[in-house]
Formats: sequence, structure tokens, C-alpha cells
Amino acid sequence: MKAIYILLGLVLAPYWAFAQTDKPKNWSVTGYVKNLQTVLFIEDNYLQDNLIHNRLNFRWFMSDAFTLRADLRSRFFWGDLVKANPFYGELTDQASNDWLDLSVVPLNNNNLVFHSVLDRFFLEYSKDNWEIRLGRQRVNWGISTVWNPNDIFNAFAFTDFDYEERPGSDAIRIKYYTGIASSVEFVAKGFDDFDEAVMAGMWKFNQWSYDFQILAGVVQEDFAIGAGWAGNLGNAGFKGEATYFLPRKEEGTAAFTMAIGIDYAFNNSLYLNVGYLYNESGSGNAGVGGLFNFQLSARNLYPYRHALFVQQSYPLTPILNSSLALIYSPVSVHPLFVNPVLTYSIKENWDLDLVGQIVFNEDEGYKSPVQAIFLRTKFSF
Amino acid sequence: MKRLSWALLAIWTLTAHPAFAQAQDALSIIKKADEKLRGETSNGTMKMTIVRPSWSREITMKSWSKGTDYSLILITSPARDKGAAFLKREKEIWNWQPTIDRTIKLPPSMMMQSWMGSDFTNDDLVRESSIVRDYTHKLLGTETVNGYDCHKIELTPKEDAPVVWGKVLVWIDQKEYMQMKTEFYDEDDYLVNTMLGKSVKQLDGKTLPSIMEVIPAEEDGHKTIIEYIDLAFDKPIKESFFSIQNMKRVR
Repeated sequence: MKAIYILLGLVLAPYWAFAQTDKPKNWSVTGYVKNLQTVLFIEDNYLQDNLIHNRLNFRWFMSDAFTLRADLRSRFFWGDLVKANPFYGELTDQASNDWLDLSVVPLNNNNLVFHSVLDRFFLEYSKDNWEIRLGRQRVNWGISTVWNPNDIFNAFAFTDFDYEERPGSDAIRIKYYTGIASSVEFVAKGFDDFDEAVMAGMWKFNQWSYDFQILAGVVQEDFAIGAGWAGNLGNAGFKGEATYFLPRKEEGTAAFTMAIGIDYAFNNSLYLNVGYLYNESGSGNAGVGGLFNFQLSARNLYPYRHALFVQQSYPLTPILNSSLALIYSPVSVHPLFVNPVLTYSIKENWDLDLVGQIVFNEDEGYKSPVQAIFLRTKFSF
Repeated sequence: MKRLSWALLAIWTLTAHPAFAQAQDALSIIKKADEKLRGETSNGTMKMTIVRPSWSREITMKSWSKGTDYSLILITSPARDKGAAFLKREKEIWNWQPTIDRTIKLPPSMMMQSWMGSDFTNDDLVRESSIVRDYTHKLLGTETVNGYDCHKIELTPKEDAPVVWGKVLVWIDQKEYMQMKTEFYDEDDYLVNTMLGKSVKQLDGKTLPSIMEVIPAEEDGHKTIIEYIDLAFDKPIKESFFSIQNMKRVR
């Protein structure tokens, strides 16, 4: 019962708030509620999992220059995976925080876990050419389409398509716009131990109708330097980025990651995106199990050394979109990740997604050891 | 062109063309119709409705533009897309996605894609082509459209013009120079889309159709309607307004 009241409160709170006044507001609340049903097939067994997911994005426009932003992400989990793991709540909680602990687990038992986290909580000053943010925020330095070696402030699970916002970093970010499409910025994350520190500068500029970026800094136990671009080859988009990680200590190893991609939108609305990833830290002979619990970082973006990506997306109607993504790695077990997605807009604010994640590999014959099917309903407000 | 007027605002000077003062030739009519929708700048609020036989969807947005080179569009509904913004500066287009905190540069081929599933393309919204510069014009005669006496003009795209049509027929009101009807033909001379101007109103002191409907020729029950909720011309907007920093800030 308790769970139902909490959920109702989260969904209805913005409506009560909206109902109060017609005056131009200096604040806003937006968000969504999602229901995600998962069926996971592993060899001959299957597991069923359920998730209700609420997001509330609060904005307070304090003045022309200052904005306070707080986003609350709350999730109810139940099903076979919750039952099978007595530490489900603790593990979820550990994975959701950065330097500060901004999360709670009010319900944590064998049947139901409720977890809530402020994954954005920052003050922004934006005036003239300055943009300064202090607090938990998303620092998204990616510029290319699929893999982002320059995205050094983030780590997320590759298969977690349900969290497009991604976790925040507890950081200070000072950005100065030097022009229309150019800027310099410095970002530092909070840390207790210097081996956990991430701090770096980035310079963005625009030349020959290309956006370029160059970064340098410290990423935990490495020095990192990187660069990326986004531009066009004819009518196609041409994007890429690369980062070189040089260990600060003698015992570390260097790593180089590079991603490159081309995307094109045909007249009939078919969108095609092809890409390649070189990941020096990736394995040449690992199995496929890692795909589903692999925590990636900019230093190691995929379990394998090489990966080829093809994605096509086509609107069957304006409210029904189909897409298919394939990722293949030319390594000893020939892992292939197949990701079909159907997205349907039920009504203006209601969406339905059907997502498949199917893995194939060479293991005494080419077969698929793991398949996952997700059905997601989303209501946005 | 099946266009949105705020994105139409070509900076034009009459200095080099003394002949315009005289005959009502096709080009000068087109220019007057184009100027009608033009100011140094424009900004407004509009609602787009995509209509299909079994469903319809609404999108509302705010827009700002300066000349034909600079425009900014902010999506204000539906909730899922609220806060997303599109910035166009000359040939470059960026898209701001607030949910992932990222600016994405769009490839030029995205320009000819349908805009959010509608019968408009991205190009219609961020205007690359111009009915004045990119076509040659021929006056075919006069016809009445919806009670308005109109000049009927044929537009043929110039070579190298960034235009997908084989030809365009346009009906322009003789008194107020409003674009009341436009037909778009493909290169094989088949009618692809018809655009109708409706609900003539005073918008910031100009008499203009406040509703534009695009109706695909081959699709029964399909259309896209754009309605101007408000529209203002010539408010001062600095060129620096059209920046990546501001794309994130406008609301």
C-alpha cells in the first residue's frame, strides 16, 4: 500500500502545483512515468522483471541569470531479479551516486524495492558569455553519434536504454562562450582521493562549417587528451572523436579509443548511421556475457577491441517508427548485438516502445545465448 | 514554396532594379508577396497539427528569425519534446536536446526530411531556398481562390537551386499580395502537395493568412495545418541571439 501512495504522490504532485495560478511562472515541473516490463531469456530459462519509473524535473528561474534545477528519479522494482538478489536495493543505490549521497531506498525487501535519487541538482549562472554550473549535473562532452571517447565524465551500462538522461556528476563547470559556436570550459568533479578525480578543460570552435573540440585533463589514474569533430561530407553527417589515456603512474597502461561515424537521411525518411570503434582496452577473445553487465567508461567503451555499428531507422507512419541496430565485433567469438526497436505514439503524451536485445556468438556453432524483450509505456507531462 | 513565413525573411534591396516600379511582372509580384512576410526580424508562436485519417497530433513552438540566414525554433509541446530547440545559421543546423544535455549537429540531408512527422520538411522551417532567388517566374494569368482575385504564377527552379520540386504554381492575392494557394509538382510534373492560405487576419499590422494547410495529393485524409497564434515583425533581435548558448536559454 505504502508504495502505491508514494507513486500516486509523485505522479499527481505536479498537477496540484499547476492548478494553483495562471500568472507567468518562474518555475516549472515536467517529467514522465514509465512502466517497463522485461523478459530475459538465458539458455533455456527465463526471468521476468518489472519497473515503474518516475522522473520529475524541477526548474526555478530565480532571476534572469540564475536557475536552480533538481531532477528526481524514482523507481519501483519487482520480479525475478529482485527476488534472486537479496542486495538488489543496496546495489542499485551504490550505482546511482557520485561523490555525494543524494539517494534513498525507502522500501527494500524481497518483493519490492523503491529507490529514489536526485540525479540533477545544480545552480546555474548564465549571463553574457558565461555559463557556470555548480552541483550534480550531466557533463556531456560527446560529439559523435554512437560511441563517445570524449565523454569522460560519464559511465553507464551499454544496454541501459531506459536511462537516456544518464547519471549526473557532482562538479563545478565554468564555461565561457567565445563566439556563436565556440567556447572554452573547465570542469572538475568532487573527489576524496586524487585517484578518483576527473578534471579537464575543453575548447570548442567552429571552422569550415565543422564543429571541433579539443580536451585535456586528468581522468582518475590517467592523463587524458582528446579531440572530436562534427561536420559534413556532402550531405552526410561526418563525426568522430578520439581520446588517449596516459597513465599517471608507472604501473598503469595507456589506452586509446577512437570512434568515427557517418549518418545520412534519405528523402524517404530512412535514416542510416554507420560507425566504427577502436577500443584498445577491449578484449580480442572475451565471451558475450560482459555485454549485459559491462560498466563502460570513456577509457573502455565496449568489451571488445573493434566494433562495427550499423543503425537504420524508418518511420512506418509519423507515429510508428522502426529501427534496427547491429553491432558486430571481428574478434574470436564474433559477438553480434542485435537491437530492434518499435516506437509507437499512442496519444500526444503516451508512447509505447517494444525493444529487443539479442546477442549471438560463436560457441560450438553460431548461436544466441541471451535474448531480452522490453515493453515500455511512457506518459510525459 | 510551402513555407513558414517567419523563416522567409530575405533581406532584399530594390536598389539595383529600377524597372520594378513599372510593370506588374511575375518577379515583382513574387517579391511583394515575399516582402509581405518579411521584416528585418520576426518572432511568433505557432501550432502545427498533423492530421491523418485515424489520428492527429499537435506540436506548438516559438520561433525567432533574422533575414533568411538565422533562425531559432523552440518546441513548447508535446511534453516529451518540450525544450528541444533548433538553431540555423546560414548552412549549419544544430539541435539542442535538453534531456541528454547535448547539442547535436544535423547533417544537411536531414533538411529534406519530414519535420516531426508532418507534411513539412526541415527545410520549410529553417528555409534554405527562396521563392525570389531560386526560381524563374512566369505570369500565367488571373484566377479566383476562395473569393480572392489572384495572380497565377509559375515558378521554375534554377539549376543548382536547393529545391526538390520540378515546378511550383502560386496564386497571389492582387490587393494584399498574400500567398493564397501553392501547388508543388515533382520533376515528372505530378502534383505532390497543395498549400492553402486561410483565415486572413491582421498579424502585427499586416493582412496575412493566419492558417496554412499542406495537403498531399496522393494521400486521402492527410494534411498538416500551421496556425500562427501570434506573429511580430521587426522587433530588434541581435545576430548573437542565434547562438548555441542562447538555444539552451530561450523559453
